[in-house]
Amino acid sequence: MEYILKNGIVYDPTNKVEGEKKDVMFKDGKIVSQVSSDAKVLDVTDKIVMPAGVDPHAHVAGPKLVVGRLYRPEDSRKGVTSKTAVTRSETGFSIPSCPATGYRYSRMGYGTVVEAAMPPLEAKHTHEEIMAIPNIDIPPLPLFGNNWFVLQYAKENQIDELAAFISSWLKIVKGYGIKIVNPCGSEAWGWGMNVHGLDDPAPYWDVTSREVLKALSKANEMLGLPHSIHVHPNDLGHPGNFPTTVGTMDCVKGIEKGSGVRNQTIHITHAQFHSYGGTSWRDAESGADAVADYINSNDHVTCDVGQITLDETTTMTADAPMEFDLHQLNGLKWANKDIELETAAGIVPFIYSGKAPVSSLQWAIGLELFLKIENPWQVCLTTDHPNAGPFIRYPRIISWLMSSERRQEMMDNKEVHPWSHRRTSLATLDREYDFNDIAIISRAAPAKIYGFEDRGQLSVGTNADIAVYDLNPNDIDPSKNPAAIEKAFGNAMYTIKDGQILVKDGEVVQVKPSHTIWTNVQGFEEQEKKVMEEVMPTFTKYYTVKFENYKVHDHYAPYPIEVNVQAGK
Amino acid sequence: MKTITLNLKKKSPISLEFDELIPDKVFDWEQADFENYQVPIGNSRFPLTDYFDIEVEGTAAGPEEVKMILEGDMGRVKYIGSKMGAGEIIVNGDADLHCGAHMKGGSITVNGNAESYAGREMEGGELTVMGNTREFCGCSYIGDWRGMSGGKITIHGSAGKQLGECLSGGEIYVKGDCDILAGIHMTKGFIQIDGDVTRWPGGQMKNGNILINGKLGRLLEGFVQDGIVTDPEIEGKSFSGKYIKYTGDIALSGKGGLYLNAEKNRDLL
Amino acid sequence: MAYEEPITDYDKIVENCTCAFCGCNCDDLDFLVKDGHVVGVRHACRLGASKVMEDMDQRLMVPMVRDETGELVEVDWETALDKAAELIAGAVRPIFYGWSETSIETMKHGIRLGELVGAVLDNQATICHGPSLQAVQNVGYPVMTLGEVKNRADMCVYTGSNPMNSHPRHLARYSTFPRGYFRQRGRFDRTVVTMDPKYSDTAKMSDIWVGFEQNGDYEFYNAIRAVLKGKELKKDVISGIPKEDIYELTEAMKNTQFGALFFGLGLTHTLSKQRNIDIAIQMVADLNKYTKWVLMPMRGHFNVNGFNIFMAYEMGFPYGVDFARGYPRYMNGETNTIDLLTRKECDVFMVIAADPGAHYPGGAVKHLAEIPVIQIDIHWGPSTEIADVVLPGSFIGVECGGTSYRMDGVPIFMKKAIDKPETCRDDEWIVNELLQRVTKIKAEKEAIASK
Repeated sequence: MEYILKNGIVYDPTNKVEGEKKDVMFKDGKIVSQVSSDAKVLDVTDKIVMPAGVDPHAHVAGPKLVVGRLYRPEDSRKGVTSKTAVTRSETGFSIPSCPATGYRYSRMGYGTVVEAAMPPLEAKHTHEEIMAIPNIDIPPLPLFGNNWFVLQYAKENQIDELAAFISSWLKIVKGYGIKIVNPCGSEAWGWGMNVHGLDDPAPYWDVTSREVLKALSKANEMLGLPHSIHVHPNDLGHPGNFPTTVGTMDCVKGIEKGSGVRNQTIHITHAQFHSYGGTSWRDAESGADAVADYINSNDHVTCDVGQITLDETTTMTADAPMEFDLHQLNGLKWANKDIELETAAGIVPFIYSGKAPVSSLQWAIGLELFLKIENPWQVCLTTDHPNAGPFIRYPRIISWLMSSERRQEMMDNKEVHPWSHRRTSLATLDREYDFNDIAIISRAAPAKIYGFEDRGQLSVGTNADIAVYDLNPNDIDPSKNPAAIEKAFGNAMYTIKDGQILVKDGEVVQVKPSHTIWTNVQGFEEQEKKVMEEVMPTFTKYYTVKFENYKVHDHYAPYPIEVNVQAGK
Repeated sequence: MKTITLNLKKKSPISLEFDELIPDKVFDWEQADFENYQVPIGNSRFPLTDYFDIEVEGTAAGPEEVKMILEGDMGRVKYIGSKMGAGEIIVNGDADLHCGAHMKGGSITVNGNAESYAGREMEGGELTVMGNTREFCGCSYIGDWRGMSGGKITIHGSAGKQLGECLSGGEIYVKGDCDILAGIHMTKGFIQIDGDVTRWPGGQMKNGNILINGKLGRLLEGFVQDGIVTDPEIEGKSFSGKYIKYTGDIALSGKGGLYLNAEKNRDLL
Repeated sequence: MAYEEPITDYDKIVENCTCAFCGCNCDDLDFLVKDGHVVGVRHACRLGASKVMEDMDQRLMVPMVRDETGELVEVDWETALDKAAELIAGAVRPIFYGWSETSIETMKHGIRLGELVGAVLDNQATICHGPSLQAVQNVGYPVMTLGEVKNRADMCVYTGSNPMNSHPRHLARYSTFPRGYFRQRGRFDRTVVTMDPKYSDTAKMSDIWVGFEQNGDYEFYNAIRAVLKGKELKKDVISGIPKEDIYELTEAMKNTQFGALFFGLGLTHTLSKQRNIDIAIQMVADLNKYTKWVLMPMRGHFNVNGFNIFMAYEMGFPYGVDFARGYPRYMNGETNTIDLLTRKECDVFMVIAADPGAHYPGGAVKHLAEIPVIQIDIHWGPSTEIADVVLPGSFIGVECGGTSYRMDGVPIFMKKAIDKPETCRDDEWIVNELLQRVTKIKAEKEAIASK
């Protein structure tokens, strides 16, 4: 099938196209440079055309999603919709059901969402949910930062073995890259404890977060994985945590990058939760300056923000000790899941309210990061869904970034508490994102950061993953029309995925299965074999499943996209 | 004033769902509208006239001018008055599940028994049940820690288990007896039970007040005795007589008040 | 017990099969196969082994339909499937119940069928750990995978649960006897506590037995929580336990390094039902302020948790999901099977991989006897006696592969070891056939209606 999107205003930052009126053509699911006269014409005159959205960090598929949905029927009830001829019923507001997740991302013009945390023992569950989510492609990131084998290798500084372990495990669980959450802390949580900062050793294993981060970064680069290590630093959510964040970014500086498809060697996720100053919630203030300054002076770092949206949402993360602390703070129902030899997770509902001083401070800090980080290629749009807010709020955040007036209005009208400007420098920041910046932080940059070569851009041969928004960039002043910006970005005029029109005028018109993207490292077979022999006795003795039943069988990824990399190039 | 009378002529084994037939939605309906209406039953809809003879008299400019009378055994009619904001509904018979659920205003009187979930998540208005009710009267939706937040429920008969679960406002009065765990998880609001209570009122409560004029079977250790109070005043309401006052549930450092009639509960002194 | 010779007459061993009985989903079973039949099972407990070994006992072999005289007669697959599809397509309040002993792959077709016709989808949780899930929804869910208990726990508490009878390998493979990473002496590094009104088989091998009185669970845990908060207990005896014992027990629980609480139907089915678990969960959350504690409901079937997980990720609710109005609703007491049956609202009932005839309260079974019942199962049972259409399925984990979820949520793919009997069909195939046929009937009806 051939199509030509005619006369749109195209934003394709990867190819340095910044609001040019041009046609976009695609055939059989790929972007092409020309089509025949049989091509179907879609008239998008003067409308914004961008690559489909790429979300670099969200929690959409996996065991803790189910615990969240199961234990929050009151949240499931909130998002219920009736089935239609094309779509099944949706449920959930902060934790949408799998079908709802696919439809809602699709309506916003998104095509790829990274599942940010997959526990290897329960990876099949993540893959089952990916199969149940339609219309978007999902690369899952397996968790490694508290894995007993990783802790052991990091302690002994056995980087070669660690690299072979990672490359084996990515194949076993069909994962894309290395996710690290509160390194050493979630293992300490196995005893009800936590670690603080980079140099606090995990109980028994006696290895520090710093050692784990460096070891995993070296292993990552040795393998040449398309993504860098993806890090949720220690001390999340604690006032005075920004030095840990800066330290985390700094501890891998100097490690040589082993891949040519990306620029960074460390990606810090939901940086907002890690940019707090002060010593307690009484004197808490913004620590965004230090974090933004470091990112501005260092090319090896990228981040995503994790912006607060001021909703009642559900926090869920592999930082289990932090979740227990949160439960102590707000008294709401607490769920927890510790996973043998590997990791842990915690879940607590949370209400971020503009009336509350702390929520407002957090809201402002996220915006400060967006506005202070100079290079949009180093910062991505996320809400760490659902932690800081549901992903359906991305259009709202876009409207805030594009309108200094709106941000000021919220602070003046007391839609947010005065801490938002008294404890941060947000009121002094009048920078406004333009459409090209938005295209970078929500598509081009995440794709580059992940080393995706087939999406996030409209180059010939890449996926025909395209979003069209009903906005004329020459007519509208985003600064004065935040409501119109939010509406347009929330209801794509067209969402096209692999050349198929899935959404038209904000309605889902077609449903297709999602692809699972994972990394298959080639050239490390000998080392992998050796490592597996070493690992087997411990596995057999201490896991409660047999190794044969542990792996993710091929039928759990019926539509895989295997990214092959040559190790150690 | 528009009076809508629905006379039951046939009882359906599968329950009818009346969430679309509340004063707010039907105040401008005429006889013909009711006769054309297809009521949800299970996965289908059937003509309302298969089950009811309908009479409509008078006019209404808004729901507050509507009076709906349901004549007969409504034991298989769910969601009566659910989400209504104004108007009056009288049920001359029993009412099925969810009677008055999510009520925001207006009034419902059931001249019979009400099934479980009567007044669930109520926000305002008045629900009166002349007979008994079963579990979860005036409760929350499962999982939500915020339950009934306003309005008034009066049960002339007795109430079942978990009355006012997660109560976060409003008042519940039970003239008869009450079963276990009344006021469990409540955070605000007032419950008064004139009859006897089997066990454990106020379990895991954080705040709010429960007053029991009858005999209590079993009290939880989570309640600490403060002493005897005479003619107490609670939330602006005056009560006469001697009550043993407790504070609890201390397991969550709760500051809820539990008042037990001193005469009837002498054994606890 | 008489000495039985080891089985030596087999063709091959299929290793690492998964047991299809309780929620332990033991995946280390070896099946000894001869002539396409399992003649021996290694590593399974008596429950699991008997299920596999007796797979042909009272096996349903052919599709059957109950005729006018009330007898079940053999028919061909087309006839049986058509009859079942007709019943489902014409139902106003259908319930599709069971699912806990079949695979996730089968459920995928089942939910589509339920969405299509507006049915209620429910599973054994509704008569089993439903109250546990309700409590979880009220107050939280601090859980772990079983390996965490194996490797770290120095105190295991079983309350309202008798694993020595219901989950025989639970203590042996997962919680108490294994040599864990941090508990290298296995049983000797752990304290086992049973809290149960009766002196059960598990109590007999525990270090401490707390025999609180029947229906006293809620009051007992409330007292422990009060003691944790520093209160002096007023009564001398609470729920049948002297207050000194409660003080001692609370201290022991506070001072352990890693405690795990396992609970079962003793909590879900006695007086306070979900509130027993509610308060036990809050007690575990309280204990986490002092030391590490986790809990786990002892799920009884190998895929009961799987159904709850599957329904939650597809439709946001764990069981008792009602699609009648075109969108999912979950309301305990209204959308659950037992209530719909005792209120006589259900008009067509399909049971797959479950035995309501054996397990339901009398009032519910009485109504089932009066309405059309479709059964998809591998064994003849009380449900077959009230079924009107019988569709013989296959044995997940032995004759057919499938995904299941263990009690702690760990997903396991149960492998196929032998072929099913020729006259039987895979559950997945059967439910998909029903889906296709009902879709066709509905499309035809709509085409006629629109003319």
